[in-house]
Amino acid sequence: MLKLGNIEFNSHLILGTGKFSDTETMIRAIEASGTELVTVALRRFNQDKPDDDLCAPLAQLKNVKLMPNTSGAMNAKEAVRAAQLGRELSGSPFVKVEIHPNPHHLMPDPIETYAAAKELAADGFIVLPYIPADPVLAKRLEDAGCAAVMPLGAAIGSGGGLSTADMIKLIIRDSNIPVIVDAGLRAPSEAARAMEMGCDACLVNSAIAAAKDPAGMAKAFAMGVETGRTARNAGLMPKSDIAIATSPLTSFLG
Amino acid sequence: MDTPYPTTATLPDWLDPTPWLEQSHTAADVRHALGTESPNEETLAALLSPAAAEFLEPMAARAQALTRRHFGRTVQLYVPLYLSSWCSGGCAYCGFASDRQTERHALDYTSVAKELDAIKAMGFEEVLLLTGERCPKADVDYLRDCVRIAAQKFHNVAIEVFPMAEEEYRILAEAGATSVTMYQETYHPETYDLMHRWGPKKDMLNRLEAPARALSGGLRFAGLGALLGLSDPQYDMLALYRHARHLQKTYWQAGLTISFPRIRNEVGGFDAPYPVDEKMLAQIIFAFRICLPDVPLVLSTREGAAFRDGMAGLGISKMSIASKTTVGGYGDAGSEEGQFDVSDARGLHEFCDMLRSKDLEPVFKNWDSTYR
Repeated sequence: MLKLGNIEFNSHLILGTGKFSDTETMIRAIEASGTELVTVALRRFNQDKPDDDLCAPLAQLKNVKLMPNTSGAMNAKEAVRAAQLGRELSGSPFVKVEIHPNPHHLMPDPIETYAAAKELAADGFIVLPYIPADPVLAKRLEDAGCAAVMPLGAAIGSGGGLSTADMIKLIIRDSNIPVIVDAGLRAPSEAARAMEMGCDACLVNSAIAAAKDPAGMAKAFAMGVETGRTARNAGLMPKSDIAIATSPLTSFLG
Repeated sequence: MDTPYPTTATLPDWLDPTPWLEQSHTAADVRHALGTESPNEETLAALLSPAAAEFLEPMAARAQALTRRHFGRTVQLYVPLYLSSWCSGGCAYCGFASDRQTERHALDYTSVAKELDAIKAMGFEEVLLLTGERCPKADVDYLRDCVRIAAQKFHNVAIEVFPMAEEEYRILAEAGATSVTMYQETYHPETYDLMHRWGPKKDMLNRLEAPARALSGGLRFAGLGALLGLSDPQYDMLALYRHARHLQKTYWQAGLTISFPRIRNEVGGFDAPYPVDEKMLAQIIFAFRICLPDVPLVLSTREGAAFRDGMAGLGISKMSIASKTTVGGYGDAGSEEGQFDVSDARGLHEFCDMLRSKDLEPVFKNWDSTYR
């Protein structure tokens, strides 16, 4: 069970909704994934033009909650405004704080993200910030009242996988809130590995949206996440690490 | 009968070790624990189990490798100074308990300064100031003044005293204290109640929560430990581990250290109900190093020279030496009877020579007063 704020989810896979070729493909992928939580950028809300709007079709899905995100915001002030508007339009208590001022590499701004997350948590949002894989920032955000932290596995859309695995392990070790890998995953096996490491969930967008068969890939990611989680719970066999020293270290014990 | 202190506490869920005590462990479980990448309570329980006693050598190898990775080839040194033997506590195992027929002393401020000068002249930069339980002869005001004197001379001033309120810890932090050591003695509620016969120390939860209050009050480091021998070591060590992990997750900016004080029936006047021998103590220390790879692990002069020499760098990364457990004893002042018998009576130079012979560097200064 994945618990975010006071809301529980059976699925440990969260989907991003940008980058799909069309709305119908997106909906099929979401359904195939079994996800119960999707994130949608406020900038993709378009009430005036229904065929360009992502919010309304997602809102119709049963058993799927919406998490507006602040993608496009350059700083904390813009992100807070986007979050408030997103809550008003979607009715969702969730917000994914996403502030990446550089439009090329899209790396999250830790300073603005912290400021926005703190303000939004105090305002009653269930806040999930997208962050660099930084164990100190993760604890700061936990202290600020976030419901989870979402460190990146690699740059958005890069398919770089879990290049930050060592840092994510440190985040997991000391976190009291769920840790969700967001961005970078290319293959379901990487989602499985993230879950084996002890992540609580994975958020995937590009790898599914850009696949030849998005619905097929969505299903594969769901299986990857579930496989990794099951393996984690079953207890992975450790790597053999038992070396017997040639000169005994414990001879002084008699 | 009404008592101002709860006599039997219930451990909070985050500390209770019982789910891991109910499991039995095989050699395969120990091998599994030795190779794990993410140690947890299950790992520690397996490494503390009787089955792991057959794995001391591979545990030592792993403990040494982890110690080198996180601390290099160094051992940090400190020395204790007992300020006072006055005590309101009734600890059944302690030489300074309030019913013991022993002459009581408390160093006056002039003597404190002289003792600290003598310690400083030896080369130490970290001093641990100790008192008994709260009493008028050694209260918070006295401690504050002693800390101030010490902070003028030493970069790192640690205190091992009675549990206080957060505000009192803040007073000591502002006076210059950086670290607090607070051994729970035992985490087992019934044993705790039995061993602490009267006085404020009867309040188990007050003591349990003291490190958290100290960290909230501005102390940077907290030292934890349980007095081995009082209760089932597996119970106490699992609870100690859980206590440390809880503090790591909650006070994530704080530094922790863990010590392994042990009642030794052969050198004291108190027979430990659960005696821990050297092999078991080594197993415990290896297990902690494996499960908490980056936490400094401390061994005092309660242990003998041969054991300390063997454990230096083999899990242990911080040690006291040239210690007196009498009140004072480094300068002019000094009482005759100590809180416990020192088993490693070597001088500082001899001890440092030993460390160097093992390719370990003795480190005296690992903190700077600029940070307070």
